[in-house]
Amino acid sequence: MKDRYEIAIADPEEVIFSRGQGGVFQGVVGGKPYEELIVYRAFPFLYTTQFISIRDAKGEELCIIRDIAELDDESLKEIERELQFRYFLPRVTRVDSVKQKSDLWLWELQTNLGATRIAMRNLHEHMQFPGGNRIILTDINGKRCEITDWQALDGHSRKQLTDVV
Amino acid sequence: MAIIEKLPDKIRARFEQDPLFSAKTDLRSNGHFGEQWIAFTEQELTLWERDGLQLLKIGMNDLKEARAVNGVGGGTLLADTAKGPVVVARYTAALSPLFGFAAKLLTAIAKGEERPAVSEKEFPRYCPTCDNPLSEGTQVCPVCKNNGKVIARMLKYAKPYKSQMIGAGFLLVLTTLVELIPPYLTKVMIDDVLQPKNMGSALLTIVAGLGLTALLLSVMQTVRGLIGVWVGSKLMGDLRKDIYSALMRLSLAFFDRRQTSQFIGRVNSDSEAMRQFMTDGVIWVSGESLRVIAIFVIMFSLDWKLTLFALLPMPFMVIVSMKMWPKIGRRWYQQWRSIFRLNVLVGDSLQGIRVVKAFGQESTEMSRYSEANREVVRHNIRIEGLWQGMFPLFSFIAGLGTLLIWYNGGRSVLQDELQLGTLMALIAYLTMLFGPLQWVSQMINWASNALSAADRVFEIMDTPSEVPDVRDPAPIGTIKGEVAFNRVTYGYEKHHPVIKDISLHVKPGEMIGLVGHSGAGKSTFINMICRFYDTDEGSITIDGVDLRRISQSDLRKQIGVVLQETFLFDGTIAENIAYSKPDATPIDIMRAAKIANAHDFIVRLPDGYDTRVGERGHRLSGGEKQRVSIARAIIHDPRILILDEATASVDTETERQIQEAITRLIEGRTTFAIAHRLSTLRNADRLVVLERGKIVEVGTHEELLDRKGAYHKLVEAQQELSKIKGVEG
Repeated sequence: MKDRYEIAIADPEEVIFSRGQGGVFQGVVGGKPYEELIVYRAFPFLYTTQFISIRDAKGEELCIIRDIAELDDESLKEIERELQFRYFLPRVTRVDSVKQKSDLWLWELQTNLGATRIAMRNLHEHMQFPGGNRIILTDINGKRCEITDWQALDGHSRKQLTDVV
Repeated sequence: MAIIEKLPDKIRARFEQDPLFSAKTDLRSNGHFGEQWIAFTEQELTLWERDGLQLLKIGMNDLKEARAVNGVGGGTLLADTAKGPVVVARYTAALSPLFGFAAKLLTAIAKGEERPAVSEKEFPRYCPTCDNPLSEGTQVCPVCKNNGKVIARMLKYAKPYKSQMIGAGFLLVLTTLVELIPPYLTKVMIDDVLQPKNMGSALLTIVAGLGLTALLLSVMQTVRGLIGVWVGSKLMGDLRKDIYSALMRLSLAFFDRRQTSQFIGRVNSDSEAMRQFMTDGVIWVSGESLRVIAIFVIMFSLDWKLTLFALLPMPFMVIVSMKMWPKIGRRWYQQWRSIFRLNVLVGDSLQGIRVVKAFGQESTEMSRYSEANREVVRHNIRIEGLWQGMFPLFSFIAGLGTLLIWYNGGRSVLQDELQLGTLMALIAYLTMLFGPLQWVSQMINWASNALSAADRVFEIMDTPSEVPDVRDPAPIGTIKGEVAFNRVTYGYEKHHPVIKDISLHVKPGEMIGLVGHSGAGKSTFINMICRFYDTDEGSITIDGVDLRRISQSDLRKQIGVVLQETFLFDGTIAENIAYSKPDATPIDIMRAAKIANAHDFIVRLPDGYDTRVGERGHRLSGGEKQRVSIARAIIHDPRILILDEATASVDTETERQIQEAITRLIEGRTTFAIAHRLSTLRNADRLVVLERGKIVEVGTHEELLDRKGAYHKLVEAQQELSKIKGVEG
C-alpha cells in the first residue's frame, strides 16, 4: 500500500489531460480515467506552473505535477487553460488610470483577458505586495488582478502607479 | 417566484414567458472579460450571447444536479448531466453568491425538491447612477456622495465648542486688524516726521502707538493660543472616543480579517491629523484669508497701480496649488500606508515574540523591519521633499512681485509721483501678504493629511456591524435556557459554509457535548449561540425568541463563556473575576473563586486577590488562568454556559480540579461543552457529533457507542492514542 504521508509526484508519462464534451477538465491519472478533475496550485504566487495538485471532484488528491512543462502538448494546453479558469487572475498589461473618488479608488485596467475596472474601498487592505515588484489588486467583491512587475509596465502606467505603490 | 435580471430584448424575444431565472455573467466561456446571459425555465437551461445567439441548451430532464465550483477569484457553474459534467458559465468572484444560488435553484428543479428562498445577500448590488459596487447594508453610493461631506462631517466635531471657536475667531479678526497698524504708522513717521525733519510731539506719539499695538498683539495672541489648545485637546478627545466606540461596536467578523494592533496607531495618529486641521488649520485659513483681504484693501487705497504688480504672481500660485493638491493627498496616504505596514510588522513580531526567540529569528525580523523602515524613509522624503520644494518656489514667485514694486515704485518716488513713506508701507504690507501666501502650501499639506485621515476614520465609523441590534429588542428578562437551532447555515466566507443546515433543540438545563474532528464546526457552533456572527440561513432561538431580536447586552448577560484561550485583562485577579459584575462584593468574588477551585491558590499568592495579572496573565499558569476564568463565568451567573476546550492545556490533576469546578458550575444551566478528551464529556446529557459542518449523530455516550458510528470511531481513535502515550510515558 502507498504511504499516506508521502507526496505523490506524478510520472509525466502516466497522466493525460483533456477536455470533455461539456468543456470540463478531465483526464487519466495512473491508468484510471476521471471525468472531472480539479487543479490546485500549491504555490499560487511563487510557482504558477509547478507543483500542481490534481484532485478528483471530491477534492481527494491524486497526484502532484512537478512541472506542467513535462507533460505532452495536449495535456499541457488543457492544464494551462484550466489553471487560468480556476485561478482567475488577469495579468495587467496597462494601467489606464487610478482615481480616487470620494472614498472609493477606481482602477481602469487593460489585462491579458480584456479591459476591466476594479473598485477598492482603500489601498492598504486591497493591495498586496508578495515580493519583488509584484502587486495583487483585490476589489471590493473579491475580484483580483495581478501586476507581475510594475516597473516593467509602460511609462503611462508607471506614472499612474508612482503615488499609490 | 422568478429571479430576473432584465434580459436584453433579443434574448427575451426567444422566450414565450419570463424565465424562472436570468442573469448576466461577467466572463465569457473562454475566460475573458465580457458578458453572456444565462436563463432557465422549468424545461431548459440556456446560455446566450447578447445579440440573441444561443450557445448552450440543456433540457431539465437531462440535468441531474448543478454545482457552482468556486476557484480563486472566479468560478464555474457546472451542470451534471447524463452525459457527464458540462460547463454552463464562468464568472468572477463578484458574482459567486448569485451563481451559488442559481446552482441551488437548478438542483432543486432537477430533483423536484423544495425551491430555495432567495435572500438579498445573494445579489451583487451596484449604484444605479455610476455602476460602482455598493457595500453591504448601505444605500448611499460612496462615489455619488457629496465630496464636501467629509469636511462638513469633520467640522461637526467642532460644534460643541462653537462659542470658544467664535471667541477665538473674533480675537483673530482683532489681531489681524491691529497687525495692520504698524506699517501705516511707519508711513506717517517717514512722510510727516522724518522727511520734513519735523521734530515735535509727533515722533513720541507714533513710537508710543507702535509700542501699544505690539503689547496688544501679544496679549491677544496669547489668549487666542490658549483657546486653541483647549478646544484642540477637547476635540481630539472626542474624536478618539468616537473612533474607539466605533471599533467596539464592530462585530467579531471585522476583526477576524484584520490585524488588530494596527488600530492602536489609527486611533491616535488619525485623530491627531484631524485635530490639527480643525483647530490650527481652520483658524489659520480664516485668519490668513482675512488678513490677505484687509492688506489688499489698504494697499489698493494707498496706490492701486503698484498693487496690481503684487497680484501678478497670484494666478500662478493658485494653479500650482490646484495641480499639487491631489498629488499631495496621495503621497500622504502613501506615507501613511508605509507606516501602517511597519506597525503591522511590529505588532506581529511582538505578539509572536516567543516564537521569534524560540527559533532564534531575531535577525530575520530585524531585516524585515529595516526593509519596511526603508520604505517609510523613502516615502517620508518624497512627501516632505515635495513640500520643501514647494515652499521656496512659492517664496521666490511671490518675491518677484516685490521686485516689480521696488522698481516701479522707486521710479515714481524719484519722479516725485509717490511719497517715500507710501512706498515703504506698500513694501511692508507686501511682505506681510507673502506670509499667508507661502503658508498656502503648508495649508494644502495639513488639509490633505487631515482629509485622508478623516477618510479612514469615517470608514471605520461607517462600517455597519454585521450583527446589528434591532431597534426595539424583545425583553427577555431571566431566561429558562431553552436553545433551538432551526436549519442554521453559516460560513465565514459566504458560500463556503462551515455549518450546514443544523437543527437541534436543547431543553433548559441540559448539557450538550459537542464532539468531532477539528474543523468540524464545533467552535463556529458556539460562536453562533453567542451571536458573534449571524446565521446566513435559518435561525437560532432562545426561549423561543429569535437571537436577532434580543439586544446583545441582554444576550451576553445570559451567556457565560469559558474559552480555550483564556484572556485576562490588565488588572488584579479580583477585577478579572468581577469583570462582568463590577458591583460584586469581596465575598461574592471569593465565593465564586471557591466554587472554581481557585480560592486556595489565590490566597496563597503574596498579593492574594490583588495580584496584578498582565496583558495575558503571565504570572499565572495555564490551569490557574483557566480557573480564574471559570470564576469569572460563575460570578456572571449565566443561564447558558459555553465551555470551549476548558481543560485542553492542563495536566491531569489540574484537569480534575477544573472538572470538579465545572461540574458545580453547570448545575441547572444549559451548557454547551467542547472537549477533545471525550472522557470530560461523560456528564453530558447528550452528545452531538459534528462532521464537516453537519450533525451526524446525537445521543448519550452509551447510545452512540452501541451505534458503532462516527462517535465510536472517535472514541477508538482516542483510546489508541492514549495507548501510545502510555507506552511513551
